[in-house]
Amino acid sequence: MQTLKRNILAVPILVWIGLLVGIPLIFVFGLSFLSRDSLGTIVFQFTLENYQRVLSPIYQRVFLNSLLLAFLTGAVTLVIGYPVAYITANLEPKKRALSIGLTMLPFWISSLLRTYGWMILLGNAGIINNLLLSLGIIETPLPMMYKFGTTLIGTAYMLIPFMIVAIFNSVDKLDRSLLEASYDLGASRRQTFFNITLPLTIPGIAGGFTLVFIPALGMFYVSDLLGGGNTIFLGNLINTQVTRGRNRPLAAAFSVAMILVVLLVISLYSRVAKDDREGLFL
Amino acid sequence: MTRKTSRFSAFYLSLFFVILYLPVLSVILYSFNASPSTARWTGFTFDWYRVLFQDRVIVESFKVSIQVALATAVLSAILGTASAVISMWVTERMKKAIQGMMILPLLVPEIALGIALLIFFNALRLPFGHLTLVLSHSLFCVPYVYVMVQLRLKEIDRSILESARDLGATTWQMVRTVILPLVTPSIITASLLALAMSLDDVIISTYMSGPRTTTLPVHIFSMMRVGVTPKVNALCTLIMVGMFFIVGLSQLFNNTQRKEGL
Repeated sequence: MQTLKRNILAVPILVWIGLLVGIPLIFVFGLSFLSRDSLGTIVFQFTLENYQRVLSPIYQRVFLNSLLLAFLTGAVTLVIGYPVAYITANLEPKKRALSIGLTMLPFWISSLLRTYGWMILLGNAGIINNLLLSLGIIETPLPMMYKFGTTLIGTAYMLIPFMIVAIFNSVDKLDRSLLEASYDLGASRRQTFFNITLPLTIPGIAGGFTLVFIPALGMFYVSDLLGGGNTIFLGNLINTQVTRGRNRPLAAAFSVAMILVVLLVISLYSRVAKDDREGLFL
Repeated sequence: MTRKTSRFSAFYLSLFFVILYLPVLSVILYSFNASPSTARWTGFTFDWYRVLFQDRVIVESFKVSIQVALATAVLSAILGTASAVISMWVTERMKKAIQGMMILPLLVPEIALGIALLIFFNALRLPFGHLTLVLSHSLFCVPYVYVMVQLRLKEIDRSILESARDLGATTWQMVRTVILPLVTPSIITASLLALAMSLDDVIISTYMSGPRTTTLPVHIFSMMRVGVTPKVNALCTLIMVGMFFIVGLSQLFNNTQRKEGL
């Protein structure tokens, strides 16, 4: 009785989040099986057509693009971010605090501003082209905008702090005595890194990868502004279906597919990271 | 570390930070360029900032953003703190359930959550505008308040609570006179962060905005789609300065809280 009374206070909280997240997700799931008429009004008629379209060859391409983008974003941020995290973890306390601070600061700068910064840098009349033109290195502006790579630069740039912080926590927790033991036994720095440090920081890498991969799937404003819609990604597709295409059931089906991908990634992550899941509150 | 590798490390780190801040600095620099194109630097001007305040749509959407962010911060502070404090008393299983619920909004991709809420609010016939914006923003802000307040609660010396109990305090009195004063700095820090997150949100706000209630980031996004103009640079720079002010304030509270110890 006593525990029941205590637990009752928690019910409103569960109901509140359940109402705002759980039920809407059920709605999305339900809607993905409905059709719509030519005006975009939803018709209550069960259909699998939306899922057939999700799996059709045209849209498979979109899926592949998005998965490739998210995967490459993870890979690029890992390759660039690992050394940053590793070096930072080995700095003296004051410099290390500065380095972490500088890594985290962009979180508080508008993501639109950071995307826009690349438009200014990479545009045909942008800073990089101007510099190269005035130095006489090139004669006509290099076309750098509106490519797959441009979007990749944007997503990687936006998400790299997550990767660095996740790996940093992992390197920081490393038992230093293991490294010393390795050196004492005559291993070189390279051997120690590949045999001890890298395997032990895999949970951090997996965590960082997850934190980068998931948002990279849906950042439609980055691919919109930097990719210019030349390559279509899942996020853009869902967004256009909702805002312009007026085909919400199809957008719902794509959202369900996206959530499934995310669940898959998270379950892979929890398998890799096992018990060592600090800091990623999953 | 040998000297050679440490010099390389320093170089790599510096290069990384230069690239990390290059886009941001470019935006700031070109907000002062007299020429409307980034192709040339024709002199220093404040004109683009002046133009901003004459733009009705920008001023209006700024107002919407501020109102929504303030309401979101207050709502998230109340809900997040309540969840964290209530978690102290419930059974272990219920606590796990609350934690699970708190993670949920952060796990679902933002765009999917935005569309889910769009469909849901549509079915409820809720008018899109301030209300839907605040409800949806608080969804991704409450978990942060919850986590920050909970971290602080863990630090509280249990013996203080026990002595309050021994002196005959009821649970509610204990919450009001002992717990809340102790966690107030965390609540303020967390709600300032909620304020900042709400002010920056693009994805969910795209679906939650009403016909006349567009938030500033949603409007900026539509401006950026048209192309590069120094007006956008100036606007972004101003927002960044405002954001740093808010984050600075929250750090200030965080530090005083730490100095007080406990």
